[in-house]
Amino acid sequence: MSPSSPVAAAVKALGSVLRSGALLTDPVELATYECDGLTNFRARPAVAVLATTAEEVAATVQTCARFGTPFVARGSGTGLSGGSVPRSDGVLLVTAKMRSVLSVRPEDQRAIVEPGVTNLAVSRAGAPHGLFYAPDPSSQQVCSVGGNVAENSGGAHCLKYGFTTNHVTGLEVVTPEGETVELGGMAPDTPGYDLVGAFVGSEGTLGVATKVTLRLLPMPEAVQTMLAAFADVDSAGRAVSAIVAAGLVPAAIEMMDALAISAVEAAVRCEYPAGAGAVLIVELDGPRAEVEEGIAEVRRVCEEEGAFEIRFAADNTERAAIWRGRKAAFAAMGRLSPSYIVQDGVVPRSSLGDVLHEIGALSEEAGIRVANVFHAGDGNLHPLVLFDDQVLGEEERAEELSEAILGLCIARGGSVTGEHGVGLHKLAAMEKMFSPEDLETMLLLRSAFDPEGICNPGKAVPTPRLCGEPPRPCQGSHPLQEAGVAEIF
Amino acid sequence: MSPAFAPGALQDLERACPSGARPGTEVDTIDGVAPSFLAYPKDTREVARVLKTASSYNLPVVVRGAGTKQDWGTPPERVGLVVDLSQMTGVVEHVSDDLVVRARAGTPLASLAATLAGVRQRLPVDEVVAGSTIGGVVATGISGPLRYGHGAVRDLLLGLTVVRADGTVARAGSKVVKNVAGYDLPKLFAGSYGTLGVMTELTFKLRPLPDQRLFVSASYPSPAEMAPHLAELLRSQAVPAAIEIDRAEPDAAVQVCALVEGRPRPAEVRADLLSRVMRDATVSLEAPPWWGSLPGPVTFKLTGAISAVPSLIGQARNCCAAAGLPARLWGSAGTGVLYLGLPSGTDPEQLASILDQLRTAASEAQGHATVLRAPAKSKATLDIWGPVPGLDLMRRVKQRFDPGRLLSPGRFVGGI
Amino acid sequence: MATKQHDGRPLPTYVETAAEDGHLRSLLNDCVHCGFCLPACPTYQLWGEEADSPRGRIQIVGQLVAGAPVHGAAAEHLDRCLSCLACVSACPSGVRYGEIIEEARAKVERANARPLPKRLGREAIFALFPYPRRLRAARLLLKAAESTGLRKLLHYHWLSSHLPAILMATERLAPPVTPLERLPPRVPARGPSRGAVGLLVGCVQSVFFSHVNAATARVLAAEGFDVIVAKGQGCCGALSLHAGRMDEAARLARKTIDVFRAEGVKLVVANAAGCGSAMKEYGRFFAGDPPYTEPAAWLAERTRDLSELLAEAGPRAERHPVPMRVAFHDACHLAHAQGIRSQPRELLGQIPGLELCEVGDDTCCGSAGVYNIVEPDAAAELGRRKAAAVRATGAEVVVSTNPGCLMQIGAWLGSAGCALPTMHVAELLDLSIRGGEAPRRPLTRPST
Ligand SMILES: Cc1cc2nc3c(=O)[nH]c(=O)nc-3n(C[C@H](O)[C@H](O)[C@H](O)COP(=O)(O)OP(=O)(O)OC[C@H]3O[C@@H](n4cnc5c(N)ncnc54)[C@H](O)[C@@H]3O)c2cc1C
Ligand code: SF4
Ligand code: SF4
Repeated sequence: MSPSSPVAAAVKALGSVLRSGALLTDPVELATYECDGLTNFRARPAVAVLATTAEEVAATVQTCARFGTPFVARGSGTGLSGGSVPRSDGVLLVTAKMRSVLSVRPEDQRAIVEPGVTNLAVSRAGAPHGLFYAPDPSSQQVCSVGGNVAENSGGAHCLKYGFTTNHVTGLEVVTPEGETVELGGMAPDTPGYDLVGAFVGSEGTLGVATKVTLRLLPMPEAVQTMLAAFADVDSAGRAVSAIVAAGLVPAAIEMMDALAISAVEAAVRCEYPAGAGAVLIVELDGPRAEVEEGIAEVRRVCEEEGAFEIRFAADNTERAAIWRGRKAAFAAMGRLSPSYIVQDGVVPRSSLGDVLHEIGALSEEAGIRVANVFHAGDGNLHPLVLFDDQVLGEEERAEELSEAILGLCIARGGSVTGEHGVGLHKLAAMEKMFSPEDLETMLLLRSAFDPEGICNPGKAVPTPRLCGEPPRPCQGSHPLQEAGVAEIF
Repeated sequence: MSPAFAPGALQDLERACPSGARPGTEVDTIDGVAPSFLAYPKDTREVARVLKTASSYNLPVVVRGAGTKQDWGTPPERVGLVVDLSQMTGVVEHVSDDLVVRARAGTPLASLAATLAGVRQRLPVDEVVAGSTIGGVVATGISGPLRYGHGAVRDLLLGLTVVRADGTVARAGSKVVKNVAGYDLPKLFAGSYGTLGVMTELTFKLRPLPDQRLFVSASYPSPAEMAPHLAELLRSQAVPAAIEIDRAEPDAAVQVCALVEGRPRPAEVRADLLSRVMRDATVSLEAPPWWGSLPGPVTFKLTGAISAVPSLIGQARNCCAAAGLPARLWGSAGTGVLYLGLPSGTDPEQLASILDQLRTAASEAQGHATVLRAPAKSKATLDIWGPVPGLDLMRRVKQRFDPGRLLSPGRFVGGI
Repeated sequence: MATKQHDGRPLPTYVETAAEDGHLRSLLNDCVHCGFCLPACPTYQLWGEEADSPRGRIQIVGQLVAGAPVHGAAAEHLDRCLSCLACVSACPSGVRYGEIIEEARAKVERANARPLPKRLGREAIFALFPYPRRLRAARLLLKAAESTGLRKLLHYHWLSSHLPAILMATERLAPPVTPLERLPPRVPARGPSRGAVGLLVGCVQSVFFSHVNAATARVLAAEGFDVIVAKGQGCCGALSLHAGRMDEAARLARKTIDVFRAEGVKLVVANAAGCGSAMKEYGRFFAGDPPYTEPAAWLAERTRDLSELLAEAGPRAERHPVPMRVAFHDACHLAHAQGIRSQPRELLGQIPGLELCEVGDDTCCGSAGVYNIVEPDAAAELGRRKAAAVRATGAEVVVSTNPGCLMQIGAWLGSAGCALPTMHVAELLDLSIRGGEAPRRPLTRPST
């Protein structure tokens, strides 16, 4: 950052409105914020603000608004789409230090938390009252509620319970113009547009959440976790369809293929049945009587579809053992391959088997291994495309393969992202999934919140090139065109 | 027909909508406002052409499904054109294995339910107003008992096709149950009262039809006596799909009914558990007569934090009893949404005073009091929506989507 | 090749090479930046800043490898790491953070990157700690201070606010001076022998915790082991190794290896978690140092933590009841570095009447080798939190497997006005085997 750069004035002004220590300017420290969980997009922010209060967030945003300085919010930096990648010409607003659970109201089944509180901490806060917070991304011990809100994060148990958006009832938001507004609240149906619904999943482009009201649910009376091993992904895929068709609503149906199993075995020694071509983890929860009948039915269905081994978790330790492998799956890929791309696409459940086949064929053709770990019940695929960045050209082929997989999802009427968001990573894919009119309509919302285009610009929704007069909602164009702003490795 | 609208509009509308367009008549009034024209498009393309035409003539547009809720919200300032979606019905796509359905906005909720029941599935949205179309239910965001167990209609809406004021057709969301690509515009449109665009197709996630439904009912002399049972119901491991209350008159007993859905044997166990929690409860296969029916004809909506429901019931009673009005209160104790029905002839001033008191009560309960429906002449003197946090942002959203203020102008909060 | 650095100092024998950076780079590459380690990290828990998290530190080391200067913020954030290795337990990718931070520390050390007062403080520590003889002298001084009331005075006098933080921290943590219990070179097994095991008596341990060593020897003997207290042993080098003082560490480690090799024991028992974990790393440490490669691996393979050995061997001596509520604290270098969690609990479980309370929070107590002396503020906060967690259990005594942890927790419990006795697992076992009375007063001096 040169002293004459446009952001320098904003940094100076920030210095005078923030408490000392809130502003990070050391390049070594700034570099630790250069990327999120998707490390191939990086940029060192001009400055970072480590906010501890909503007032500091507001003061920061107001300053950015005054100087037209772009800013990016960041929670725990576990995003997998480059959503919190900073702008080298802007401010990174870190909310990770705002981590108090402000109140738990068991009688209202709500918790009010600051945005930096981790997802798991919400459930922990509810636990003494017999309550829990349902959305449970695999990253739950570290990802922040602010990040969850921005990404509309899901988790294994979203099949039954829904996603973040179904569990946020109120938000305090600092708008891109620096105003603090309360949206929604403790009660449902606040008059007016459902701006809470619009904000959740907006990937930090509509403002910064400074307070979040979440719905807590009574912990289920019974939980039954079952691990079923199949010879191949086909039969496991058929079992998923059959479970759903049987009218069962498990809390979770997760699938892992052989390659994924071998990675997690290496990482956490979860001891899944040997020789499995695929395993399904099926979890039912709810009233005991309901769960008992349900799990028997799931077992029957799995056996009919050819499961060769079925295990039930007898207690919480065994349950944790079954889940351990699944929860560690992404990060465990490091054991199989020096690098990998986590893809995140969705297909209609009924086409799971076919799509997995097609992915297998693509993988073979490209000579690139693909491990599959996914939320089968939702049709949310997480193909992990493995490559070695030391091998010339392998990364490009892996990227191509990963794109091709998204193509399969789009062709089936699915989605290019089920939970990781668009960020920087899926901008091009958005143009394949949506028409210019669709995108332009989304941008209407963005420009209403952020007329100057300074709030996480260049992410989430690409700016379509329409003829006529498109709205001018965001400053940053396609990241590829913003050389020097976000480098792409 | 208002002469304010340029000649030639009708012909152009007819051209845009071969399926039907005509001048408006007295019987077509929308909440007391007479429309100049009506159009009956049969698909999204026609809707787009109609809206394009309307915008070229600056015709304010109101959408109508079955017309069951046209008196909800503030009356529109002007109505140039009614876009009637009664021709746009039916399921477009339903892959039963995926538990997802896409249907046209004018499809009656009841007929969709009948179709889905054929494969033992359902859209768990109650038909609170008989004859409602799916588009109307989404546009008003009305919810019934099942909201407690399955979420509001916004939570079930996966995707939509919408025609913007200028005729641009856009899709948002998708037809898979999980999708975070782009903004969640379906949420924005749900409950927007037709002020942002015309929804033409809607995609919902479905649930299996339960094998057994059991209604567990009990009655309590007062909200205070009900309160501990309600709190226990909310904590209960029986996981009811709905927790409803009804009070036929201000001083009548409070009826509470919880619904259990599931497999027959476990459902019985759960119902049994609930009946113990509720004390002296009866279990029945039939819903009580008041189940899921909106009180009226004048209807106020009250919301609050769940724990405040008993006190809201009490306060509603107090202000109606003081006014000597026979008022029925009904709603979802489990979600904190209540509806108060008042007689049609109630004096506007009396209504205003009750609304005022309810607003104070609701705000103490951290919720809101709004007017769902009332006679046009009363509405003129009532503050329909009350205070609206974030109104400024909402105005800006409206401004971007409908810069010419042609979609149901004046119908929504803050004159949007 | 030059034999002197530009400032005239001799070139260290442990020379940084491109190959080392290559190795470091490959270690860094294992990190997928998922952040799963963040919540486990004590300093991230304290401050919530990326640069004070494992992921951030790995990133910083990456910057160093890429050529960023090794001073200022980089050195500071690396220094603040406790080397508790909680991040290693939390990491699903198998990142070998311990090796990363060790090599990074060596870089910091070589670059002389710290500000002068800090550097002097560290030099002072490392001129004292690894040397039992010097420690014994210090012990006498402390004892004198204690008997003259000088130590007490230190706490009230304005001195306490004027002396350097490092000094005060040292004083605050130093245990009360107990009589030295000297061990004979060999303690014979009771009953038929299950084999001869060497006992590492350590540096600080042998001077300030000689009673723990004595208890360890008694327990081992009672359980049927011949205990060889190899003569000439000193510091195992753990403190220096974890601080990145590679040459010093190598020197001390070589001596330790030599001493135990000479005895030809079957196994070597460590009763301080940090020592055991360092000794188990010897093989890797000397991998590129041929004359010692084999002997180092020999010792590493034979090193056992006391609890590990006893749990594996199974109890032989009778246990007498010790009816107490005991809070067990996992020493980081046992739980995270050596993966030993169940064994000490198993041993405690063998004691009749003993009620085991889990501390719940398994974050580092802040002791971490010399950390509580070099980073007193962070250590103090962690100590306070740990003391609160221990207090919440309602236990009557705190037990751990590392003297440093016991000093730290004892001191902070004292500060919180809840002076509980602290005991090493060996002492508790010793008590149970001998059938003695449980202590009812603090074994460490309550701090004021
Ligand atoms: C190993 C691993 C497993 C994962 N598993 C899952 C999973 O199962 N399901 C799932 O959905 N995701 C998963 N994720 C992705 C990630 O954890 C989620 O997207 C998470 O919600 C991100 O939270 P964060 O706090 O890390 O946000 P960040 O990465 O810091 O930021 C994410 C986005 O949120 C915005 N943001 C952050 N804070 C705020 C705020 N206060 N206000 C407004 N915007 C804000 C940022 O600008 C950015 O756009 C996984 C990630 C990893 C590394
Ligand atoms: S060793 Fe401990 S302090 Fe250091 S980074 Fe890992 S968890 Fe944090
Ligand atoms: S060290 Fe391990 S847990 Fe921490 S960010 Fe790296 S890979 Fe993830």
